[in-house]
Amino acid sequence: MEVRLLRPVLMLYTALFLLFLYGPIIILAILSFQSQSGGPQFPIQEWSVYWYRHLLGLAETSRVSQLPVGESLVRSLVLAFMTTVVSVTLGTMSAEAFRTRFKGAGPIFYLIILGMMVPGVLVGLGVALLANFLDIGRAWWSTSFVLHVVYTFPFAFLVMLAIFNRFDRSVEEASLSLGVSPAKTFRRVTFPLIFPGVLSAMLFSFTLSYDEFSRTLFTAGADLTLPLSIYGTFSVEIYPNVFAFGVLTTLFSFTLLAIYGLLMKRFTARSKSRFAGQEET
Amino acid sequence: MLELKGVTRLYGDVVALDGLDLSVPDDTYLSLLGASGSGKTTLLRLIAGFEEPDRGEVLLNGERLDGKPTHLRDIGFVFQNFALFSHLSVAENVAFGLRYREVGRLENEAAIRERTQHALQLVGLEDFGHRGVGEISGGQRQRVALARTLVTEPRIVLLDEPLGALDANLRARMCDELKSIRERLKVSFLHVTGSETEALTMGDTVAVLAEGKIAQVDDSRSLFTQPKNPASARHLNAWNLLPGVVKGGVLHASVGKLPIGEQVADNTSVQLAVRFDDIGVCAPSDVPAGHDYFEATYVTGEFNGPTALSFFRTPDGELIQVVDHLSDPRLPHLEEGKSYALFFSPDAAVLFKGAA
Amino acid sequence: MYTNDKKSPGTPILAVNTQATSPAAAREVRDRRRAFLLLTPGVLWMLLFMLLPLGMVIYVSFWTQTTFAVKPDLTTASWEQFLSSATYLSAIGTTLRVWVIVLLATLIVGYPVALFIGLFVKNRTLQTALLVACVIPFWTSFLIRVIAWRPMLGTEGAINIILMKLGIISDPLSFLLFSEFSVIVGMTQIYCVFMVGPITFMIARIDESVIEAARDLGASFGTIFRRIVLPLSLPGVIVGTIFVSVMVLGEFATAASLSGRKVNLLGNIIVSQVGSLKWAFAAVAGVVLTVIITVVIALALRVVDLRKEM
Repeated sequence: MEVRLLRPVLMLYTALFLLFLYGPIIILAILSFQSQSGGPQFPIQEWSVYWYRHLLGLAETSRVSQLPVGESLVRSLVLAFMTTVVSVTLGTMSAEAFRTRFKGAGPIFYLIILGMMVPGVLVGLGVALLANFLDIGRAWWSTSFVLHVVYTFPFAFLVMLAIFNRFDRSVEEASLSLGVSPAKTFRRVTFPLIFPGVLSAMLFSFTLSYDEFSRTLFTAGADLTLPLSIYGTFSVEIYPNVFAFGVLTTLFSFTLLAIYGLLMKRFTARSKSRFAGQEET
Repeated sequence: MLELKGVTRLYGDVVALDGLDLSVPDDTYLSLLGASGSGKTTLLRLIAGFEEPDRGEVLLNGERLDGKPTHLRDIGFVFQNFALFSHLSVAENVAFGLRYREVGRLENEAAIRERTQHALQLVGLEDFGHRGVGEISGGQRQRVALARTLVTEPRIVLLDEPLGALDANLRARMCDELKSIRERLKVSFLHVTGSETEALTMGDTVAVLAEGKIAQVDDSRSLFTQPKNPASARHLNAWNLLPGVVKGGVLHASVGKLPIGEQVADNTSVQLAVRFDDIGVCAPSDVPAGHDYFEATYVTGEFNGPTALSFFRTPDGELIQVVDHLSDPRLPHLEEGKSYALFFSPDAAVLFKGAA
Repeated sequence: MYTNDKKSPGTPILAVNTQATSPAAAREVRDRRRAFLLLTPGVLWMLLFMLLPLGMVIYVSFWTQTTFAVKPDLTTASWEQFLSSATYLSAIGTTLRVWVIVLLATLIVGYPVALFIGLFVKNRTLQTALLVACVIPFWTSFLIRVIAWRPMLGTEGAINIILMKLGIISDPLSFLLFSEFSVIVGMTQIYCVFMVGPITFMIARIDESVIEAARDLGASFGTIFRRIVLPLSLPGVIVGTIFVSVMVLGEFATAASLSGRKVNLLGNIIVSQVGSLKWAFAAVAGVVLTVIITVVIALALRVVDLRKEM
């Protein structure tokens, strides 16, 4: 094939790919502004924010019942927060351990990675069976929580592993040689330097847990998390309020992302070298 | 006084240090010269406690150091890459040890500030305390690293190729500064380097590390003029070594027969060492009286500024180097590919027993 | 020197090493014990909340299923029923078929994109921007991304409207939604990024000078691609394959919301069995799923060492 032709062809292909990725979401966003009388499809009867008001419980009663997002949103946020704290702690500890060579590192690596590989429906089933067997009640803050950690801990671990791979051990040694104990060295040198990585691991864990659904399905018990509430509406007919919900949650995620970006920028601005020359003054 | 006795360090089957003995007296600048991979960094890491020896003892003023955690050893370490804390300012870097160390921590902010400022003055950075460590130059970073170490008043300071990351100009200046700072503080410096000029310039005493052992410890001048073994001679990068066997009081070297000054039993393997700048060059017919000589072909020359290096190859492929000083030239005009007599005074040659 | 650590397995490591061992060996033991302590909570968590539940699935698959409950009386009845049921066996077939199709689709969709981003985009910033553009959809909830295909593919959906406006078709295409097609399209869109990412990463890692050198030697792009780019990108393809496979094989939500219950994957079987409290059948389906996934991952891992690629 002519190489000069390949480049524009691949460029076009990539553009189509992005359209494929974004198309449905864009259509969904447009349809979320459907009027009360319109259905979840084109044409738009009239542009309105009715379904947003409906979602937030501001609309007058209608034949469509309100999405049960209020309490489940709070549960999902709390669950994601708990999951983040635990999985990032575990991930950092394990990655730190992997800086030492030890026997059995391979199997343990795969054991941890398995957590992100094994299908949610499978471990979900397993934990539900185990809870039944042991006669433990299932709840989002117990059985779902441990599974969320099983899922997000490997991601946090991999992020921290990558961070430690690039970490210059000599700064820790410098601290030790100044008479500072290992614990304080971690607190004062290691942790501040790996903090951007910790932040990334937190972002990963939070978004994964917040959106996690298949691991929650069998383990959450009676109180639903947000994705479960949404899933519940699938079986019946869908209305544009689901679309409005999709737009709002996406905006919420971007807010999270922006906060992460700001924290990251503030942090790196303080520590990154802006001047690395060798000239003398 | 720091003493190492029979220190051995193994990495799997590789022997990095092999029963090494070394002592560093108080108030001394000792430079340790070793090729890359000779285990010189390992040696420093063992003293600092980043690693532990497989056999042997490390003693400081008679007290065992090995087995003790790094942070309780009270030994300063200056890294080749400086290892500054990039998330802290220059002053915070220097104050770090005072503020957080396990033993002898300072709680009083004013005292910390005073000691920090004093240390910054010592290295000439009194106005740079507020800067980020990314905002200063390489030489300044080197000084921050030094100030950070010195401010905690360690019992000895280990420097791991501290000038390696600096450019040549700066290196010369830092050499002087390191020496004068050390003389003011009266603390011993153990400076590891792969550069023979750096080792000779810096050290009151120079130790040569080869094959996991200390080959020789001497003052710079003695070491340079009278290396005690081939390993030392080789590390100085100033000596030609001519291996051969003694028969009937004459050295049968690869370059031909050469007379030797001392009595050596027949069939002893020896190496004859002649310094680069002790060799003269002339036509084979013009060798001055009272000099030994051998023949070699001129290969090429290398102009280094104040000195010029000439490379010769002996008939069986041995490379011989000759140094000429620009201010006092001794060599005739040389033509590539032409054979010359390389001559030297018998007094200038040093004989080492043992095979190459 | 180190043999001290290995002998007398019954004695605690520490006791063996307190006397007559070198500081180096002692340090090594201390470092290893520290690593061990740091790993213990994570490993325990995975053992208790992942491996134990998976073991439970296997165990329960041999329990006795009554109408509304399971009893721990061991039997192979559920297995026999599962393996003799046309519905369940066809679910295995469907799962494998959908998996293969989606895997190929993500590869066909993803590889050229990865090739473009990794090889043809030289500007680092643009490269990163394109990769970020691929990841951004993940900040929309998974379920919402699935449901977003309904207004696209429905009989009154965007695609049918466009095609009719263009005069290509006169009646709306009904196979677009609530069919295996919609499930495959949905899965391909959601999972193709997991193919693009690893492949791009591997291609971008190829040393530019290698390709330059090949070009200087007169190699055509086809040759360069076959001899250099393709082999070096293969680990990325394998990693992508692992990601996509485990996710597609364990899927049920996409099928549940886009197939109108016409496509039953093993995941859907598990969900519906749990819904009707048939825990033992669900467990059997779970074990079958585990076996399939294990085989797939094991095959993929024979080709590539995941730990080295990370």
